[in-house]
Amino acid sequence: MEENSNPVYTDQRYGQSRELLYTYDKDGQFHRNVGYHGEPDRVILQQAWDHFGERIEDARQKVLAGKASPIAYYMEKLLADPLNLSMMVGMSLWRVKWHLRPAVFKRLNEKTLNKYAEVFNISVEQLKKVE
Amino acid sequence: METKTMIDYTHRQAGHCESGATSNLLRFYNQEISEPMAFGIGNGLYFSYIPFLKVQFAPMISFRNLPNTVFHRSMKYLGIDATVIKKFKDPKEAMLALDRNLEKGIPTGMQVGVFNLTFFPPEYRMHYNMHNMVCFGKEGNLYHISDTVMETAHVLTYEDLLRVRYAKGVFAPEGKMYWINSVNKELDIRTAVSMGIKKTVYEMIKVPFPLIGVKGLRWMGRDLKKWPKKHGPEKASFYLGQVLRMAEDFGTGGAGFRFIYGDFLKETGEMFNHSELLETSRMMGKTANRWREFTYIGARNCKNRSKPEEDYSMLGDMMIEIAGMEEQVYKKLDKIKL
Repeated sequence: MEENSNPVYTDQRYGQSRELLYTYDKDGQFHRNVGYHGEPDRVILQQAWDHFGERIEDARQKVLAGKASPIAYYMEKLLADPLNLSMMVGMSLWRVKWHLRPAVFKRLNEKTLNKYAEVFNISVEQLKKVE
Repeated sequence: METKTMIDYTHRQAGHCESGATSNLLRFYNQEISEPMAFGIGNGLYFSYIPFLKVQFAPMISFRNLPNTVFHRSMKYLGIDATVIKKFKDPKEAMLALDRNLEKGIPTGMQVGVFNLTFFPPEYRMHYNMHNMVCFGKEGNLYHISDTVMETAHVLTYEDLLRVRYAKGVFAPEGKMYWINSVNKELDIRTAVSMGIKKTVYEMIKVPFPLIGVKGLRWMGRDLKKWPKKHGPEKASFYLGQVLRMAEDFGTGGAGFRFIYGDFLKETGEMFNHSELLETSRMMGKTANRWREFTYIGARNCKNRSKPEEDYSMLGDMMIEIAGMEEQVYKKLDKIKL
């Protein structure tokens, strides 16, 4: 394997913003170059977004089938898990998990719904349905 | 009411957001401390692996210290008078404090969350609350922001800035801000460097807890081998991806930090004419290249998922080897007297 396996890419295709990257070469010098992240970076980022996309689609199907409340869908859309979401809305973890059930969701009062809607940055009307 | 306050602040791009901000802030007060220098003195190098805590659906891996360590420690070690306000209860009060600072002509650093940062490339916008940037001007509703990861300075509206300053979740910023009050003319860099290296060595090899530093790297290497059997190929691949994302993204990431630290050792070695420091810098450079190789092979592994077991055990061994290489560097650094 060559010494510098992750060269600095200057091609626009490899990302949107140029960053300052440090490299070390054979003669013992450190270099600072401005360029794009390389191929490995794109692969792992793509993997993450594919994974999130799958989770969102999964949650959407579940909500449409009536197995989960719309909160589950919007939570996935926010790339959050129940623990993260509980921190965002300021409720306890088990309460957020409880609200993920469709039957419980129907009984929620306006105040609680508002809290969720604020975090998801949508209106309460939108929160009640999933397109 | 149209108000305009602009501070004559130069934006320079840097590899690591917080050390870059620290270095730029010091430059504003006419002290030329380069980014690797700030990074080394402020203990930017760190590693912790917490398998039982999940962040973004994968084990938590952190290549950096708690937020604000770099700024706080470098100020402490250099003996500079600086203020850190950890949190504001009221978001409006936090914004007012920022306005007051700008009117006084003080560029102010802030901890922010990345998720809602509008000028950030969309593919990097995940829940990550340890980002740092400096605000240096206000024009009506717009704030001028110097984010060292970006090539140029950017602007944010009041609402956007408030949202990122009050991002929720793990390590929530809660409006944290910091600035420098005054700087003495002569800085005692030698002591600061010595203290910084000592602390880094402590954190990497001497902490009596198995998940931090080099021990954490080894632990992760051992776990890495078990992932395909324990979680199945899909999840193992995602977990490996998470390791690589932490090592590559988010402001050069963990692998990049090794280059910055090597550069720091080289700079100090040249400054004090110290041959052993120069040698450790070369060792660190080699380790950093090995890290790059690791991410390269790992990413290839993520892409085509054929024969996962074999590759994972090899990657795990590589991780353990890297841990050994790093341990050598820290042990050598430990013996150096400055």
